[in-house]
Amino acid sequence: MDNNEPLYIERFSVFQRMTHLLVIVSFLTLAVTGMALKFAMEDWAQWIAYVLGGFSVLGALHRFFAIVTFFYFFLTMILLYTKWRESEKSLLGFIFDSEGLVPNLNDAKELIATLKWFFGGPRPYYGHWTYWEKFDFMAVFWGIAVIGSSGLALWFPVAFSNLLPGYGLNIATIIHSDEALLAAGFIFTIHFYNTHLRPDKFPLDPVIFVGSISVDELKHERPREYDQLVASGELEELVQRQAPAPWLKRMSTVFGLFVVATGSVLIVSIIITMFSYIGKH
Amino acid sequence: MTRIGGSITKVACCFILILMVSFGFGGKVLALTDDECLDCHGEEDWTTERDGETISLYVDMDMFNQTVHAENGCISCHEDAAEGEYEHPVPLASVNCANCHDQIGEIYENSDHGKAALDNHDELAPNCDDCHTKHNILPPDNKKSSTYPLNIPLTCGRCHREGTEMTQTHDLNQHNVVENYSMSIHGKGLFVDGLIVTAVCNSCHTAHNVLKASNPESSVNRNNIVETCDQCHVGIVNKFKTSVHSKAITSTDKKLPVCIDCHNSHTISRVSQKDFRLIIAEQCGNCHEYESETYFETYHGRASMLWGGETTAKCSDCHGSHNIMPSNDDGSMINEANIVETCAQCHSGANQSFTTYLTHATHNDRERYPYLFYTFWAMTGLLVGTFAFFGLHTILWIPRGLIDKIKGSGSNGKKTE
Repeated sequence: MDNNEPLYIERFSVFQRMTHLLVIVSFLTLAVTGMALKFAMEDWAQWIAYVLGGFSVLGALHRFFAIVTFFYFFLTMILLYTKWRESEKSLLGFIFDSEGLVPNLNDAKELIATLKWFFGGPRPYYGHWTYWEKFDFMAVFWGIAVIGSSGLALWFPVAFSNLLPGYGLNIATIIHSDEALLAAGFIFTIHFYNTHLRPDKFPLDPVIFVGSISVDELKHERPREYDQLVASGELEELVQRQAPAPWLKRMSTVFGLFVVATGSVLIVSIIITMFSYIGKH
Repeated sequence: MTRIGGSITKVACCFILILMVSFGFGGKVLALTDDECLDCHGEEDWTTERDGETISLYVDMDMFNQTVHAENGCISCHEDAAEGEYEHPVPLASVNCANCHDQIGEIYENSDHGKAALDNHDELAPNCDDCHTKHNILPPDNKKSSTYPLNIPLTCGRCHREGTEMTQTHDLNQHNVVENYSMSIHGKGLFVDGLIVTAVCNSCHTAHNVLKASNPESSVNRNNIVETCDQCHVGIVNKFKTSVHSKAITSTDKKLPVCIDCHNSHTISRVSQKDFRLIIAEQCGNCHEYESETYFETYHGRASMLWGGETTAKCSDCHGSHNIMPSNDDGSMINEANIVETCAQCHSGANQSFTTYLTHATHNDRERYPYLFYTFWAMTGLLVGTFAFFGLHTILWIPRGLIDKIKGSGSNGKKTE
């Protein structure tokens, strides 16, 4: 490890990267097609519907990518299950693992440390997952539950009305579209900033596509994880000299920037629209 | 005898001479024949200058002989031509058709066209010949007639086509009438299918009694329009007369709709066509404002605004159109007894619970829709809370990130702990 050449360590497995690719494509399409309906009275929404081939195409795309969403949700459950089996921990022990994805007390401490860092304190001692990354992950879980169930009700309204009164569909519409607005608004602003647009990553952190980061970066970004890997001796096993392939980096950047730009344009349109409403009332 | 005989001869000669003179010259004064008119007016290239314009003085008798007036001689219309001898006063006075067509003449005099021409001396107002032509007047069932149904829009369009001197100098309520008519279901019926029973201009506006729609006597005044449409659309009008929109059923001070409130006069289209379906909710919204606005807040209304959105349910799909009745009437499509069937037109398997979906709903009305109101504000609270927290988090992060970037890699957590 005293070599001058940079060393790399895998952060996301191929399975995780592919899952995230599914998330990106489906989420972006769902957001674009859904927001076009939510804001149908706006020119930009009508333009989207026109360009994509009309309202029925929006509906077909939205339903197709809803299925994709349920599919990657299912894939994630498989991934978690495999990880759990590999970890040889009890189910609760796995779920509430101190380095797992469920927020714990240490995240509250890290949040306070982060706020201190913003005001001039030291950079916090982040581990494998920061609290905002955990929030991103948990929000997708929560989002799929809320948006997915209300979306299924709207997809199969007659079946829904056999279980609950028909006006529940009006409530489901509000929950579905506002939760989606929250999700899209969050991903296209907060997640984009926290992950890609923040000054040390700007304009894009390609790790979710290329999979690995340099050990130096790990040491700087996630010192606790680095220390843990050193202490357990795993670092020696995991490091690789293979840098991500340049073509993969280039494709990741082009694709990633396209997605970030599309999401940003959509959210800016929505923000302008919403401010114009507030202005009118 | 010779004397007497000579006297008789003289008298007889004088009498014959007087007869000859009176028959010869007097005949000319009393009855100018068509042949004599044609001595001059039969010359195809005979023209004159009037007000700087070259005018043909030729009358095509072959054509004239096929017209409705073929039996009438020239002077039956051009009375003042008979006054002269071989040459008549120039120019001749305008022909007064009302001499024979007195009833139509009276109607025309009181019409807006007649008043403009006779009372206001509007040079652009039509006289009889502007629509019927002069020497080429054919019956309206003759395909060559200017008043044959296929030709009517062209005849009226000579003045009413957008951009003519008339449309530019007169204050008209409606524009592009001929153009819009041509694209309407009536116009397409006429021009595309050649269906001469379709409505042309005079079917609604009458031929001679053309009055502005604001005139209570007008055939296109909103109080008379139902009867006007009833001339052809008998079945529809019968239904309409038993609906809640009919004066016969509903007594109200509010304006009740008539045909043209939903079906635009000149741009009228088939109700199944998308341009009609896309404006229907706005049409109804002219009176039913709250229902229309709240409809647009629901799925059906939102989708209506997008390309291809004509397929989602519109007002008439659930409420009916000409037979529309209030929901408490058992003839209404949204009456409890019929509503499941109404929803099932699109949503097969619809049940009573399904019909409680609020098709005009807003989360802004706490009194009427408390569930929606509170759901909306709970969701809004969640959004505002989440964005407030993470928004602040991000805003604080930006300067920190920039400073660290400028300084270099920044301090490492481990080292400083």
